[in-house]
Amino acid sequence: MSTATLPGTLDSRAAQSDWAVETHGLTKRFGAHAAVNDVELLVPRGSAFGYLGPNGAGKTTLIRVLLGLTHADAGTMALLGYPVPAHRAQALARVGAIVDEPRFHGHLTGRQNLQILAAAREPAARDRISSALERVGILQRADDRVSKYSMGMRQRLGVAACLLGDPQLLILDEPMNGLDPAGMQDMRDMILSLVAEGRTVVLSSHLLDEVERTCDAVAIVDRGNVIRQGPIAELLSGASLALEVDCAEPDRARTLLDRTTIGGHIGVGTKGLEITLPSGTPPDVIAEINRVLVEGGIPVYRLQPIQASLESWFLQVTSRLGAPE
Amino acid sequence: MTTVHDTPIPVPGLLPATDSSGDHRGSWIPTGGMIATRLMELRKRRGLMIALLVVNIGIPSVFLLIRLLGHALDPKSYGPAGGYDIFTNLVAGVMYVFGFIVAATLGCTAGSVDLTEGMFRHLVVTGRSRLALYLARIPAGLAIIVPMVAVGFAIVCTVCVFAATTSINYQGTNVPPGLSVTGLETWAANHPDTVLCNFPSPQPPPSNVDCGNGPGPGPSGPVFKEPQAGVPGPATPAQIRAEAVQIAQQNYGGYSKIFLYPSNSLMIKAGLWIELEAAIGFIVGLGLASLLGQRTVAVILMIVLEVILTPLLSRHVIPHFVNLERAMVGLATAHLEPGGMPLVFGGGGGGGPGGVNPGSLLVPESTTVAVCVIIAWVVGWTALGAWRMMTRDA
Repeated sequence: MSTATLPGTLDSRAAQSDWAVETHGLTKRFGAHAAVNDVELLVPRGSAFGYLGPNGAGKTTLIRVLLGLTHADAGTMALLGYPVPAHRAQALARVGAIVDEPRFHGHLTGRQNLQILAAAREPAARDRISSALERVGILQRADDRVSKYSMGMRQRLGVAACLLGDPQLLILDEPMNGLDPAGMQDMRDMILSLVAEGRTVVLSSHLLDEVERTCDAVAIVDRGNVIRQGPIAELLSGASLALEVDCAEPDRARTLLDRTTIGGHIGVGTKGLEITLPSGTPPDVIAEINRVLVEGGIPVYRLQPIQASLESWFLQVTSRLGAPE
Repeated sequence: MTTVHDTPIPVPGLLPATDSSGDHRGSWIPTGGMIATRLMELRKRRGLMIALLVVNIGIPSVFLLIRLLGHALDPKSYGPAGGYDIFTNLVAGVMYVFGFIVAATLGCTAGSVDLTEGMFRHLVVTGRSRLALYLARIPAGLAIIVPMVAVGFAIVCTVCVFAATTSINYQGTNVPPGLSVTGLETWAANHPDTVLCNFPSPQPPPSNVDCGNGPGPGPSGPVFKEPQAGVPGPATPAQIRAEAVQIAQQNYGGYSKIFLYPSNSLMIKAGLWIELEAAIGFIVGLGLASLLGQRTVAVILMIVLEVILTPLLSRHVIPHFVNLERAMVGLATAHLEPGGMPLVFGGGGGGGPGGVNPGSLLVPESTTVAVCVIIAWVVGWTALGAWRMMTRDA
């Protein structure tokens, strides 16, 4: 990754970058354990990007490395086109982030905490305090001490802190934690509105449903490795096809289907047969299953393809990793 | 296997550029806003501020108030609340040591709370120079501790000056305070018997001056007696007055060293001295807490340094380790103690007004070395604290 020496050149090059976050071979080790392992990550500008992974996968560590909270052992990275850590100040000037649980000085009010953070940013940040508090919905409690805030309110305050710098890129680590359903809906709407304004939001979460509802693209991380990334629709199109078949005599139905060349995995569940077909299976196979069962004298009451969800895809991908080679 | 999506999702128009005028976040110099908000953060710590007020202002004030009340209710049993001795003992005995400890506590708090309360991460993410974040704490903390020490000191000065005793006792004689040489000579001319009988003099008083009943015969003047062997013969009243004036002149040096209340010069020096001590305590505490990343251990170490290590190492010369002892900041500040103060840690520049104490028990150290030690401590701990803050994982 090249680093420019002329600020004007650097700014123009940064503005032309298509990527809000760009990493190449990024590695962070704790002893022998690689928490972030040779990560290649490209987050498009102006998107809501989900960063998914099970607990301990290295999601927060990657965010900490990106933000300069800890150093990388290898690799290069850029935020909003600015190479970091070489141009960290310029990059972070337009970045807002929540990392882990948002914590603040409990003896100060929410507004006072934001005043401290605004003072560390550009002078205009101080003027954004009230609007940021209003946007996250805690303006009326802004003058209460943070020690009296619920977890959800601290999350909102954390997002307000992110907004102080009028960020082009927001990195939110588990922002839904501690929020009630209404709060989650508010957060989701806010993220979408931020993206609509042209900002990039990177959402690290283990709440797959929330990510699926909010994000355009995702990256799946496991054991420090990014194992998949891309637009959700594109990734799910490569997922396996699941079918639920409500029929009489499910055990005999399974025996019948096992004798065919349909392939896939066939099980018997509470609602009948549960069939998982490999990705790329043509829709004709569904008709073939129906034909085999009917010709075998088994009444079919319902045959329903199950829409692949991010959750099911995530479990497929991560469980495949866990399976022995 | 990592699948990289090469085509960016359609990007809405770039956000309008944010006004970044005045944004020097890469600079190591903290802004006024950073200092002001840091000051606010410390000032809002109610418990800490109460502790600072109690120690710096409360303890001396209550002590002086009790003395004022005692003297007002029973002047014969309780002496004046103020005065020179009270001033020096309060400053060197209480404000010096406790001022250091509370300033160190404030420094340890300022150096660790961002980390322990989770704000450090937020601050780092702003992109602001970590060195600037550290340095902002120094003026903010000093803006609290310096005025607080000054207020406590001003109260002590006020009471010690205005509630001081009204006469001084020199050689067993009540003498008006604050006289010039001429003034003392005039007073001696008017009280020749008192001077001749009580003030130290190489010559015995004339034979016709009666010193048998204490300090002179009283307002009626000297009593003329018959000459005795070995003593000067009778003198005329003029000669007696002239001799009294001469003795007063000879004793002016000793007389002038006795003060009812501290001089302006001493108060200024003592004030600067305890402010220096408090500032050192704050800066060292700040650096130590930043280095350790927590407050409690840092505060304990600072108390141990001030209350145990410094007195021990300041008084006893340990062979082969004397230079290490000289490197103690407490010893260095003790050596900068203004003359006329009681002995801090058994030494100091004390020993009477304006003089260096020849009987100081402190490990010897020149003023230059003391100043160098203090600078080294302040710079060294600031560098250590800042270095740790700049390299610490957030």
